[in-house]
Amino acid sequence: MTKKILVVEDDATTADYIARGFEQNGYVVDVAGDGRDGLFHATDGHYAAIVLDRMLPGMDGLSVLGAVRAAGIDTPVIVLSALGSTDERVRGLKSGSDDYLGKPFAFSELLARVEALQRRGPTGTQPVVTSLRCGDLSMDLLARRVERAGVRIDLQPREFRLLELLLRNKGQVVTRTMMLEEVWDYHFDPGTNVIDVHISRLRKKIDEGDRLPLLHTVRGVGYMLSETA
Amino acid sequence: MTGLPRLRLPAPIRVALISLAFGVVITLPVLLFVYHQTDSLFEQRIHDRLDDAERSAMAAYSASGPTALAGSIQQILRTGQLRGGVALLVDQRGRKIAGNLSGWPPVLPTPSQWNEFRLYPEGQVRAELFAIRTIALPGGERLLLGTTIDERERMRAALVEALLGALLLAIPLGLFGGWVILKIAERRARAIGNVAARIAGGDFSHRLEEETGAEEFAMLAAAINAMLERIEELVEQLRLVTDSLAHDLRSPLTRMRANIERAASTDRERQQQAMEAVSLDIDRMLRLISATLEISSTEAGVGKQHFEDFDLAALLRDICEIYNPLAEDGGMQMTIEAPANLDYTGNRQSIGRAVANLADNAVKYGGGEITLGAADRGEFIELWVADRGPGIAPDLHERALGKYRRLEESRTTEGSGLGLALARAVARLHGGDIELQDNAPGLRVVLRLRRDAANLSPL
Repeated sequence: MTKKILVVEDDATTADYIARGFEQNGYVVDVAGDGRDGLFHATDGHYAAIVLDRMLPGMDGLSVLGAVRAAGIDTPVIVLSALGSTDERVRGLKSGSDDYLGKPFAFSELLARVEALQRRGPTGTQPVVTSLRCGDLSMDLLARRVERAGVRIDLQPREFRLLELLLRNKGQVVTRTMMLEEVWDYHFDPGTNVIDVHISRLRKKIDEGDRLPLLHTVRGVGYMLSETA
Repeated sequence: MTGLPRLRLPAPIRVALISLAFGVVITLPVLLFVYHQTDSLFEQRIHDRLDDAERSAMAAYSASGPTALAGSIQQILRTGQLRGGVALLVDQRGRKIAGNLSGWPPVLPTPSQWNEFRLYPEGQVRAELFAIRTIALPGGERLLLGTTIDERERMRAALVEALLGALLLAIPLGLFGGWVILKIAERRARAIGNVAARIAGGDFSHRLEEETGAEEFAMLAAAINAMLERIEELVEQLRLVTDSLAHDLRSPLTRMRANIERAASTDRERQQQAMEAVSLDIDRMLRLISATLEISSTEAGVGKQHFEDFDLAALLRDICEIYNPLAEDGGMQMTIEAPANLDYTGNRQSIGRAVANLADNAVKYGGGEITLGAADRGEFIELWVADRGPGIAPDLHERALGKYRRLEESRTTEGSGLGLALARAVARLHGGDIELQDNAPGLRVVLRLRRDAANLSPL
């Protein structure tokens, strides 16, 4: 079944850019040009995720979000905003959005976040997972053990959480900003090499020797854990 | 929706009129009081005079009856005891016995204390105003005694004249007072206006004189000067941002232009490389712009609403954990110098970002042993990031803190140069400031955060 994405964005160029990006990645996209239209679509169709602009003519993005949540729709929503500061982000998240992305953004970052949201599912409905796998790499969340081909790997607590994040998003790109947010709970752009150093240490531990590399760099976007290169 | 436009008088006339109205309001009651006092004094004297005449008349009557009284009346009139007064004695039937009136005025009751009557005394052509007292005598005779009150009338007229005169005098005085007040205010206003005009002309260095003059004006001048200080600072910052932003955006834009031209070539491999380079430059510019916006909004006090309780020591440990691997890769070591726990109320995200920026700078430009520290100093909490690198010469410290002022020597190193400016903005958001110190050798950046930052009013 193809997945549907609703894009609520008044700027036609941006809407087109986002829509084309999702279509190239196998999604069906509906575009709404204002808040009212967006709300109508959101309450009507079954979407995998909603991409909602913060500033909309007619009805403000956060009001649309409030109305959608009030209508009992728990579709994951990611808010886009030119007001990209950390405080705006907090406000967006408090209003019921699942993620927040400052404009301008790279499409790959949006895609990575939307895919992560879908996997996570609506808040509170995640099934309890006790173990994660990728190829011959396995993680036991209860015993906090990581093994590769049956051999135990010792990880620092943060390395464990970084790997957990990658495993939960197996086969999907995780951006550097997402890592800083999920693992350390700081919402700033860490630049390129800070996270890279952590990844290279993690990579050294899990992809050591002549094993099949699992941790891949996606240039210009982030990292992905996958059995296939 | 009023039909008529309201009459707006020019300011000098308005001030003069207000001053005049004040003059009148103060003068009028004083004059009325004087008038009343003088008037009752006169009336009292007239009463006294009538009392005297009555007493001597009664004395004569009780001694030897109407005949003696008639003689007494003649004497009273002759001696002028009543000051050109009138007197009349009539018998039971109203026939005249003595006096200088031809007959009893028909409407006059007897006895009565005080009547004001216009009468013609015998031998006079003009009627005069008299205060008249009538007395019923035990033998059935009636006595009339009167004294002129023209005097009082003249006094009243004089008082009214004086009153009008005083009011007339109040007009020029009021106008003059108004003019003086206006001139003083005008001079002050012109001084402020001149400074405002200079500032409008682009010269932000001008200030009002603060010491001279009245307290209120001194306070106003001080308040305006404080405002100008802040405006000058903001304008200066804005200018620096614009200059540096233009400078810092020009190089990636130039590179992008070159790369796009290269991308027009036919070689697939080179096209790919060129596009990746362009993408990298765009990211760099985006980072630059969002950092600038972040600093501006932090400086404007945005972020106060997201204060929360958190552990600063844990924050330092987080940042150390994030940056230490990077430091180790560069042959450095990052350590922490802080109590196990340091609770604080503030904006965790922005403080985290500020410390991260400082740690990033220390790894990039510093070197050797890098220390992230925190200590409770009572009113303030100090956070510091110290390195053992080349440091910054003390005379360059202030320059280094400016927005965009990456020191020229380090221009070649990657980075926006906004780290210190952001850290300063964050410190100020928390009621403190930033200080650069010599770590002998190396640089030590100290952030001071007020303990009670959450209770400070914005700016």
